[in-house]
Amino acid sequence: MPQPSSNAPLPLAASSFHSSGQPDASPIDRKPWHGSLELTYTRQPQQTQLARCFVQSPMKVQRPFYPEGEVCHTVTLHTAGGIVGGDRLSTRLHLQPQTHALLTSATAGKLYRSNGLDAHQQLQVRLEAGACLEWLPQEVIAFNGAEFRQDTYVELAEDALWMGWELVRLGRTARGEQFLSGNWRSRTQIWQNGRLVWVDPQHIQGGSERLHHPHGLGGCPVMGSFAIVGQDVSAELMAQARDAWHSRTSPPDTPADAGVTQLMGGMLCRYRGFSTLEARRWFVAVWHLARLALCDRPACPPRVW
Amino acid sequence: MENRIDSPIHPAPSRPQLPTESLLRLLQLTSPTLPVGAYTYSEGLETLVQQQQLTTAEALERWLGLELSHGAIRLEAAVIFQGMQAIAQGAPATLQYWNDWLSALRETREMREQSWQMGRSLHRLLHTLEPASAEMLEACGEHCNFAIAFAIAAQHWQIDAQTAVLGYLQSWVSNLVTAGVRLIPLGQTTGQQILLNLSPILEETTIAAQALNPDAFYACGCGVAIASMNHETLYSRLFRS
Repeated sequence: MPQPSSNAPLPLAASSFHSSGQPDASPIDRKPWHGSLELTYTRQPQQTQLARCFVQSPMKVQRPFYPEGEVCHTVTLHTAGGIVGGDRLSTRLHLQPQTHALLTSATAGKLYRSNGLDAHQQLQVRLEAGACLEWLPQEVIAFNGAEFRQDTYVELAEDALWMGWELVRLGRTARGEQFLSGNWRSRTQIWQNGRLVWVDPQHIQGGSERLHHPHGLGGCPVMGSFAIVGQDVSAELMAQARDAWHSRTSPPDTPADAGVTQLMGGMLCRYRGFSTLEARRWFVAVWHLARLALCDRPACPPRVW
Repeated sequence: MENRIDSPIHPAPSRPQLPTESLLRLLQLTSPTLPVGAYTYSEGLETLVQQQQLTTAEALERWLGLELSHGAIRLEAAVIFQGMQAIAQGAPATLQYWNDWLSALRETREMREQSWQMGRSLHRLLHTLEPASAEMLEACGEHCNFAIAFAIAAQHWQIDAQTAVLGYLQSWVSNLVTAGVRLIPLGQTTGQQILLNLSPILEETTIAAQALNPDAFYACGCGVAIASMNHETLYSRLFRS
């Protein structure tokens, strides 16, 4: 959790469902939010600076911190506690040349059962020459009945680097909940120098055969993707990423599948299994390897993890 | 007028004309003898069979059915419709966009290389056989996906778009049934039965793909992607990676 003393200039409006002791109740009676977040990073001699920050509730951002000097670590918050039908959230990030920022979220995201409307989240990223963005949010839990759609649009200049992951849990499986209805849609598009290099249009439909059939999720409630795009990735790095998966230590009762492949100017790791922790551990290991290989620096986990 | 009975002094109405030329071109285009090497790929099936995840005729049929109704092949079919329309409208830039889109859609290196290799083979063939299709072929740049080369051929040979896509999907599914028959293994008759059983899904997918708006281009096929990724590092392989 964030350290309020140094890094939380804003009061974290604890959501009603948390404080009421009724975590099952989704706040579907609240009005939809149209929140946005716009961040611009510029290069200063010693470090990357968050030069412009525009926030509109329920999106918030903590004061950036610099645990490794140069790289600007930024933590975003969603102060409404989760996303409900009708919400429209938009994030725009602009990294000027030679900047390096790491973004993560303070807590796991929640997508509540829909009230009939769908929720839409948009992420637009522009990375200029030599810029690097690490987009490493915490996992998202899609409650049964959630109607959610997200669009991610990334524009990379020459030599820019995108490292982004996503972890989704379908249904609050710890409570025995399944994703019996609802939809989760996500479309990622990454362009580099005006050329489309990766498009990932995923749709999971609640209650469908694809949730259980091995062609789709094979009964796994957790899926994760980690894409590194913008620079050629060596066969060695991909082999290391595979080794990191095969040498993991996980309980035997969570049979998971994973794979690594090459993208056009990048690589992709996919996970389907039962544990967000297992997926995240693997992604963090790959992130560490990728940072060493591509940024010449070891991983520095953000303090909120 | 509609119910007019032909006067007996007129000869019987002429036989309905066979779409001979376009039908023959489609058969040629979808034939296993088309030298593009489709039979050398298993699209993840080899991994699944080796891992004992796919061991029966029923499992193969359902796997292919799900790929048709919800997987990337459905989007490929939709892109053929888009591509043929772009060619008909003389819009090479739009065709190029869809070619780039397909390259970017490939979830694994293996599937991308497959589509490019087969596309390159058909591209070369068309260059020689149908020089008039050169403008559209060139629009695709260095890497032409097989579905796009197929769209160029189909449009050039004036094959109706629905029939072309139905043929494309049938040819795709035949290849994978053959791969499954070899890998699992299954009898040839069983393979033919699977093809027959999948006919309704081929038709449904064709109709759905034609109506699909690009805003609704989504797929679900996490299992295919992981199987294809792991085929790249499989210890022994019959099929190309």
